[in-house]
Amino acid sequence: MSKKSEIRAKALSKKAQDKQKIILEMLKSHGAKIYNDLDKGEFPKFSIPSRSVSNIVYDKKLRQYILGNASALRSSKNTSQLRSFTQLMWLAFFANRLTTEKKSSTLRDIYYSSQAFEIDFEDQGESDNIIVDLEAVTSRPREDFHIFPEERSSIFGDLTIEYTIPGYEGKTMNLSNHPDGYAIGPSLTTAELVDTTAEIVIAIEKGGLFTRFVEEQVDKKFKSIIINTGGQAPRSTRTLLKRLHDEMKLPVIILTDGDVYGEHIAMVIKSGSANAAHLRELTVPDAKWVGVWATDIEKYKLPTIPMTESDIKRCYDLQKDPRYLDGIWKKELEVFLRLKRKAELEAFSKYGLTNITDKYLPQKLELAKSL
Amino acid sequence: MSSIKEKFNQISPSEFFYRNRDLAGFSNPSRSLYTAVREFVENGLDACDGKGILPDIHLTIKAVEPEKPDPKQYILTVKDNGPGIESKHVPLAFGTVLYGSKFGLKQARGMFGLGATMAILYGQITTNKPVTVKSSTDGKISDEYELLLDIQKNKPIILKHKTKDVAKNGLSVSIFLEGDYSKAGSKIRDYVYQTSLITPYASITFDDPKGEKFPYPRMINTMPKSPTIIRPHPYGTDVETIRRMMVESQFEIPTIDDSMIEKVRKDLGLSKKNLSFSAIMEKAKKRWKTLSRQVRVVIALMSFLKMDFEKLNKIRIEDIDVPNKKLFYWDFGDSTSKSIDMDPESHYYKQLTNTVQGETLTAFLTKKFQRVGPTTAVKFAEFAKFKPEKRIGTMTNQELAKLSESLQKFEDFMGPDPSCLAPLGEEPLEKGMKKFFKPDFLTVIQRSASAYSGFPFVVEMGIAYGGEISTRGIKVYRFANRIPLLYDEGSDVVLKVINDIDWSRYKAKGDPPLVIVSHICSTRIPYKTAGKENVADRPEIERELKLAIQFMARKLSVFMNKRGQAEAAKKRANLYAKYVPLIAQFCTELAGKKNEPNIQKILQEEKAIENE
Repeated sequence: MSKKSEIRAKALSKKAQDKQKIILEMLKSHGAKIYNDLDKGEFPKFSIPSRSVSNIVYDKKLRQYILGNASALRSSKNTSQLRSFTQLMWLAFFANRLTTEKKSSTLRDIYYSSQAFEIDFEDQGESDNIIVDLEAVTSRPREDFHIFPEERSSIFGDLTIEYTIPGYEGKTMNLSNHPDGYAIGPSLTTAELVDTTAEIVIAIEKGGLFTRFVEEQVDKKFKSIIINTGGQAPRSTRTLLKRLHDEMKLPVIILTDGDVYGEHIAMVIKSGSANAAHLRELTVPDAKWVGVWATDIEKYKLPTIPMTESDIKRCYDLQKDPRYLDGIWKKELEVFLRLKRKAELEAFSKYGLTNITDKYLPQKLELAKSL
Repeated sequence: MSSIKEKFNQISPSEFFYRNRDLAGFSNPSRSLYTAVREFVENGLDACDGKGILPDIHLTIKAVEPEKPDPKQYILTVKDNGPGIESKHVPLAFGTVLYGSKFGLKQARGMFGLGATMAILYGQITTNKPVTVKSSTDGKISDEYELLLDIQKNKPIILKHKTKDVAKNGLSVSIFLEGDYSKAGSKIRDYVYQTSLITPYASITFDDPKGEKFPYPRMINTMPKSPTIIRPHPYGTDVETIRRMMVESQFEIPTIDDSMIEKVRKDLGLSKKNLSFSAIMEKAKKRWKTLSRQVRVVIALMSFLKMDFEKLNKIRIEDIDVPNKKLFYWDFGDSTSKSIDMDPESHYYKQLTNTVQGETLTAFLTKKFQRVGPTTAVKFAEFAKFKPEKRIGTMTNQELAKLSESLQKFEDFMGPDPSCLAPLGEEPLEKGMKKFFKPDFLTVIQRSASAYSGFPFVVEMGIAYGGEISTRGIKVYRFANRIPLLYDEGSDVVLKVINDIDWSRYKAKGDPPLVIVSHICSTRIPYKTAGKENVADRPEIERELKLAIQFMARKLSVFMNKRGQAEAAKKRANLYAKYVPLIAQFCTELAGKKNEPNIQKILQEEKAIENE
């Protein structure tokens, strides 16, 4: 390892350490408050932002859903809240251990780990909910507490990263070495982004197309990092997209199936979901959805399949969402509703397997510049 | 009509009941055994109640040949510690049908004599064996009889009679009868169990044919007040009853014959003396207060006739014409009818008119009915548009009908006098239920007396919840005049009322361990069927039952609320005890502290709240 990179590694790990320190300090201050209340003979309590539908509002400036000002008091004196209060305390305690020991875990892990402490979660749904509570109280995504999703999406392209997880600290890796791509897991999510020659990030909805893009060397031809979102992008993937955009200054484009669900996958990457309204580091407001649009179906004469009733209902639902009130978002929804048909990314195969990378993608990349 | 009456008169009462024994509950061996038990036990209880003796009842049923299958012969013996029956009355009381003393308007379990003699009759028919009666009225000597009933003649046949020294007074009746205990057993056991519940002042033991003993010791040592015989209430009297009551209150003009004159002379102390008319009048005035009504009437007549005894002997009173103030009589001397004017100012005139016309309406009402005072009587007369001083003897049939009708309609009569009823009373009922069910919650109520169709009745009820009550759902024990109603409960008014209540409103949800005891007392229970197991739904009775249940249910609901709060507090304390230590454990590590915070303060504070 060169001296230069050694210095940088230290600096990088200091950054990671700082972040860890902030998280731990925050957890400690919450713990101290509870401790003091108990010691004074008072029932500990804290307030938590309300996540009820009425408190979820769209912030036009931030271009995402956020929580309003309403908050709820959680008191250990209230017996109907006592159990969930204790569960949240346990989770903070457990997150503290995970963070301190730099161990990662999953939602499911959390559910099972709780059983060693007589924290009786009835099912994983309940423990997942408490995890969201912790996020809301601390305004931090669970990944900061070393709790990662199980869904794995993948990444491929010329990107050098440096691990911060125990045992790999300081080790670097280039993500173009393995053609199947790299799973976006805890080690990648927490890694530092060191260097890249890429000029754009292409997020694509489907694994099949991801493989095609790697085969056709889209990374090289278009100087891009390719990310497979595997349907709706998991939060770690959205975090990575945001970091690529913010830290590496890379534009992000999104390719989805030509249907209403595809359109919404793009929207969630761009401006988040109502479910994660309590978090603000998961969006890439500048990301661009380039296809497959409803208008593309006609333009490229793609083979289509009819929309189902639930597809149509979803269109009408999204028309009520403030984010779909203008631009291509509004226009494409209208066209979908007019056509009542949809097309998948694979539809381009009708015109040859490489048609999508040879013809469609270049046109869309060009178009993206003007969007 | 006349032929039926004649036919009835030709057969003896015992033969009549022998032919119609189904009616009295002796239709088959199973039912007969049960009915016989009831009749004897109830007789024993009634005998003790009547004399204010705390009853000790011993019931024994033994099989004559235990190995034989049912139906078979049993010996049924019921022994009480009552007053006993005088030796000379025993053969008639137990050896004839329709011999009894319990007729009149007061509440009693049954009609004495009839049921018991029916049981004896049934026993005799099925086994051809005599009844054994042992009776001691003085607690020293017991008269022991063996009797058979001569059905045709309705007369007792005394087979044996002896006396024996004993230590206790009381009556013991023992009969042989064909029965079926395997079928009747559960019903008899239920009967004894429930009887002891409604008679907590009695000690009842039952030795069954299988050698099992069911002792129900006395739970309280006070007797409920015994009922008294009373005058009828205006409601519930019909035209015929009123007519009979009027006749009783009127006095006929006495026939003035030798014996009557003799009686008057004697009462005036003039048996041997012949005084002048005025001297007789003088004497009568002095003795007036001691004279009987009859004698007074004769004196009054003499005063208008101005006759002494000798002259009086020679006439016959024909008529007393009150409106015309004339007195008609037949003179034997000249064989002519004569009349004289009566002086309305004379005080004898009043005596005479009273006798002829009967009492005034107000006096009649106050004297002959319960719950009618002079003020009410006057008010009623106004209501019925009669003059208060109207003599009842002057009433026409139409007026009589109007009177009867008005008596039913007038609303200002006070409720019937319940002193003829014998409810158990709240305290004995409560004590009894408490010892019987050992519940967590118990409340009883005795409603004030009410009446349906003029028959007074009282409803008393009790509700017990939880504790040692193990039944799920509402268990109802129904009683009428202290008799358990065991069967046919589906159509009973008590069940109807209980089922109409929304118990969840009173916090008794699901299948609550709830026992309801209902006791209806009345001089006449309106049974729905001849089986006398279910009470008909008279609106007045239904209303009283409903009010009683609602009253108690409200108390139950208060209890359930309190209990709910206590349970909630306990639950809360348990939750704190479970979770607060965990919170302490987690926040200690989270805050980076070595020692856990002191959580005892919180937990103890909560405990204090729970114990409040």
